[in-house]
Amino acid sequence: MALFELCGIHSRSNFKTTEDDHFNGEMDSLNIIGNPTQLALPPLGCPNNKNLVDEHGREMKINYDHGTTTLGFKYQGGIVLAVDSRATGGQYIGSGSVKKIIEINDFLLGTMAGGAADCTYWERVLSKQCRLYELRNKERISVAAASKLLVNMVYNYKGMGLSMGVMIAGWDKKGPGLYYVDNDGTRTPGQVFSVGSGSLYAYGVLDSGYRHDLEDEEAYELGRRAIYHATYRDASSGGIIRVYHIKSTGWVKISEQDCTELHYQYEEAERGSK
Amino acid sequence: MSILSYNGGCVLAMKGKGCVAIASDRRFGVQTSTLAMDFQRIFEMGPHLYVGLPGLATDTLTVHERLRFRLNLYELRESRKIKPQTFSAMVSNLLYERRFGPYFVEPVIAGLDPVTWEPFISAMDLIGCPNVPEDFVVAGTCAEQLFGMCEALWEPNLEPDSLFETISQALMNAFDRDAISGWGGIVHVIEKDKVTTRLLKTRMD
Amino acid sequence: MFGQAILNDNLPGAKQHHWSPYTDNGGTIVAVAGDDFAIIASDTRLIQGYSILSREQTKLFKLSEQTVLGVSGCWCDVLTFTRTLEARMKMYLHEHLKPMSTPAVAQLVSTMLYHKRFFPYYVSNIVAGLDQDGKGTLYSYDPVGHCEKNRYRAGGAAGAMLQPLLDNQVGLKNMKGGVLPDITKEKALMVIKDSFISAAERDTSTGDGVIINIITKSGVEVMHFPLRKD
Repeated sequence: MALFELCGIHSRSNFKTTEDDHFNGEMDSLNIIGNPTQLALPPLGCPNNKNLVDEHGREMKINYDHGTTTLGFKYQGGIVLAVDSRATGGQYIGSGSVKKIIEINDFLLGTMAGGAADCTYWERVLSKQCRLYELRNKERISVAAASKLLVNMVYNYKGMGLSMGVMIAGWDKKGPGLYYVDNDGTRTPGQVFSVGSGSLYAYGVLDSGYRHDLEDEEAYELGRRAIYHATYRDASSGGIIRVYHIKSTGWVKISEQDCTELHYQYEEAERGSK
Repeated sequence: MSILSYNGGCVLAMKGKGCVAIASDRRFGVQTSTLAMDFQRIFEMGPHLYVGLPGLATDTLTVHERLRFRLNLYELRESRKIKPQTFSAMVSNLLYERRFGPYFVEPVIAGLDPVTWEPFISAMDLIGCPNVPEDFVVAGTCAEQLFGMCEALWEPNLEPDSLFETISQALMNAFDRDAISGWGGIVHVIEKDKVTTRLLKTRMD
Repeated sequence: MFGQAILNDNLPGAKQHHWSPYTDNGGTIVAVAGDDFAIIASDTRLIQGYSILSREQTKLFKLSEQTVLGVSGCWCDVLTFTRTLEARMKMYLHEHLKPMSTPAVAQLVSTMLYHKRFFPYYVSNIVAGLDQDGKGTLYSYDPVGHCEKNRYRAGGAAGAMLQPLLDNQVGLKNMKGGVLPDITKEKALMVIKDSFISAAERDTSTGDGVIINIITKSGVEVMHFPLRKD
């Protein structure tokens, strides 16, 4: 990058030589790789998805993939993240196998709730920036810094209709770190979070079983069970339940199970205990 | 969200060879939260006559009771079992009486003629416009998905066993792509000498 | 949103005229990926409201010898999007002296869609092709670029109608037996044909004909079969 600036070549991939090139405007739609945090703006008016009407004045809605239950908590063994995998556009189930835990690097994970495209795109940009930080500073980025990079990027688009509620979790010099970040520009550290339409159901299970001194297996099962109960009651959560564990050596994937399989497993166990 | 999809749920019915089947999901919810998984939206109106009432749950119950009332009066006056065609007209009438303040249900009727044992199915919109096809009818929040499934799976002259398999597969795969239907299914296969009712083991998310 | 932004003055006696940058031109895309092939198909009808604009407009765009893109939705967005994408792929070719691989195209499509996050392309995309190892792959998108890798997918106007059928017939959902063998090319073609015949029965914007592209390591084979025209 520095070399590029010295040579006066801004982005070879765009065939641009100078800033005042009159093709700049024409090439704008091709210029995403240059600066991924700069999105195209609509020709007029405030960009949000309200007031979108068709020729007859009827309200028109583009249905983006939505709806989720995600959770994460810190305990003595690190951090456990658990998520469902359903994406709904309106009431239609667009997919039952979305990866809602995004692997930013070997020590950082992000979860996604809200607009699926918003979360995946910005966490991808974040992962690039974390890598650049690592190359420049010869050390891994802290969870605090990573989450702040993300919140600063989305803050630039505040009020424009982005929809995301994410957790950034990882392990750095200070130990485990867990942050909640959303599209309003909120960024807050915490012990226990659950985000998404099914979060209230998940909190119910999570709060009743949470202790700081949980064993690893107990912690996985708590996360899994909380998500399972959310998929059971919340129509916009479901599919595969994924559990991840973050420890000092980085993250590991613990399990990926269909929640239907879990449902009949739990039902069997319930019957056995009676 | 439309008031018809406030509680979720779907019903479909299919014709077979000398038999008909009617099936529905078992969810009762309020928008995205699921409150019950044993909700009844198909009702027995006679030994060979069933009606499914997907839509707003409160109207499912009301319309069922008002239909029961009218049907009882009919059978007392006529001293005979009602024909499915006649019952279908009765449902249509009841709904059209509320043309400008409708009940939010889209009924599906399936039955065998009490005299000729001819299979009959019909469906109507919430103000009672009847639709009496030769193959299948669908209604509810995942009607589109059900159409896709039925259009591909249904064939003429299905025997009761194959009819059960066809209607179950159509129902389950359709509501698995709908957030507010599912959580168990129920299928009634109506034949001349028996009615078989089965509960389906389905995804519970 | 734009029409209303200007005309929202609420003057007494003022009549609001709405204009929308979007229109829905219908169309359906179905794609299935197997072990060493990918099949993508689209219907050939183009509509506006209740009128048929064309009975022979393919919605498949061959991007390279091993990648085909299927797009439906607002036709003007389809054209703009595919032309920009082709330009981007050409730039990649000249810069790297090799064509883009299918996974690379898949990521580019996502980024390009998201670039227009605040004035989205009104399109439903499916990218089908072979990956670097010659395996069939398939990616589907929402209008703002959420991307997912699938084995089978129905998109566009009759997407919701056909997806459960694919779940059942290709994904073997709700079937006893569990193990998923890779689907054969013959079975995949049969399911795709059946699904379009079903869609043409119930969806007004799908019909006239189907164009099928079969992508294997020897290139893209094109097939055509008719649908009902009413």
